Amino acid sequence: MMHLLAQANPPAPMHAVTLGHYLFVSAAMFAIGLIGFVSRRNLIIMFLCTELMFQAAGIALIAFSRFHLNHTGETFVIFVLTVAAAEAAMALALVVLLFRRRESLSGEEWASMKG
Amino acid sequence: MKGGRVGSILIALDRARARRVGQPGQRLTPLINQVALYVLLALGAVGVCVALPRKGVNPQPIGALLAAGAGGLVMLLLGLAGPEHLPNIYFYVFGAIALGGALRVITHPKPVYAALYFILTILASAGLFVLLAAEFMAFALVIVYAGAILITYLFVIMLATQSPTEEEADRLEDYDAVAREPVAATASGFVLLGVLTTMLFGGVKTLPAGAAGARPEAARDALLARMPGKVESVLRTEGVLKDGEFVDRGGSAVDAAAGTITITDAKGGTRVLPRDQWPERLSVRNIEGVGFDLLADHPGAIEIAGVILLMAMLGAVVLARKQVQLDEEAKARHAARLAGGLTDPASAGAGGAGA
Repeated sequence: MMHLLAQANPPAPMHAVTLGHYLFVSAAMFAIGLIGFVSRRNLIIMFLCTELMFQAAGIALIAFSRFHLNHTGETFVIFVLTVAAAEAAMALALVVLLFRRRESLSGEEWASMKG
Repeated sequence: MKGGRVGSILIALDRARARRVGQPGQRLTPLINQVALYVLLALGAVGVCVALPRKGVNPQPIGALLAAGAGGLVMLLLGLAGPEHLPNIYFYVFGAIALGGALRVITHPKPVYAALYFILTILASAGLFVLLAAEFMAFALVIVYAGAILITYLFVIMLATQSPTEEEADRLEDYDAVAREPVAATASGFVLLGVLTTMLFGGVKTLPAGAAGARPEAARDALLARMPGKVESVLRTEGVLKDGEFVDRGGSAVDAAAGTITITDAKGGTRVLPRDQWPERLSVRNIEGVGFDLLADHPGAIEIAGVILLMAMLGAVVLARKQVQLDEEAKARHAARLAGGLTDPASAGAGGAGA
């Protein structure tokens, strides 16, 4: 198993049919995240759904990185992780702030902000 | 006349595209029958829509089963398209867990459970990453996402919920129990998924033959040429280097183009190790590849990432400092509410009954 993980040889190129499988998983996860973001009303779950969409993008990037046999896709996922971490810190601080103001996590409490 | 002109423009565009792409391989036939794909996507949409939380009768399991069945059938049909190139069985296991967990994230009415199911999705995606030969990213995902970000989410969920009263220990908030516009949301989401899958399954091309075998070797050798220290240590542990021999770290001892390693002995003489005598273990690991790509090829981007993280931390601290002032406001409001409750006989009675 360790031998498998450490890749004694460069991985064989991945076939386009298999790339399609991974891209389908990625697209389905993105769509689920989008549906959740639009339909759920709890602020925290809405932010969880954005993380779900980040994750879907990451799967697509890594699948393409494997397909083209270079590491740039993986590098980009590191930056996606960075942005996700920064976004989580800011968003959660905001959520706590908003909760203190209205004692509720409902997104509709703040509907007056749409102008 | 007009139709003919449009047609000729289309043909010219097609030719231009063919020239740009440079004939990398023939276009695959669509991986999956379009009609079957759309029927299954519609089925999945109905399932997700039914599974979203709502008041009254709650047919969530039925919806989840419908969606899972539709997703599974799409996967099976994909498998029928090219039986000789099926992904391995773990792909189906991890994919099913990831998508099932994702579905549960958006359908579970309680935020804590949604976050836990999101951790399940993360772990399954880490499994997919390992299958894609990206071990470093798999571990980073588990450590950063499941270990750090999701724990922060859990903390905030626990901070930002009203403490339950005794008689309604598991009462759901209204905004958790009822989804907003489930039909419209699912419809838009699955239209997006339909477009995406149509593009994916109609537009993918096969890898170019011929170049496919050469490419990883060339990339590997180019990376090895940047790591003479690793080459030397591998050669030494494999017993290729004799006493006093070493790989010159300053010069270009590893020649990627020629496929040779120049070995220097103690007296300054050299011998050349051709590629077919390189030991099996002389290869680039995933971590080494990612490290070189990250730090040698994108040094600016990683600086920017550091600045982004720093600014996010500063922003979070600034927001958290504001809470102190807000606490004063909230205290005043609380006091006002309490005073109002005491004068209001109905709420005072309710408070008394609760106590």
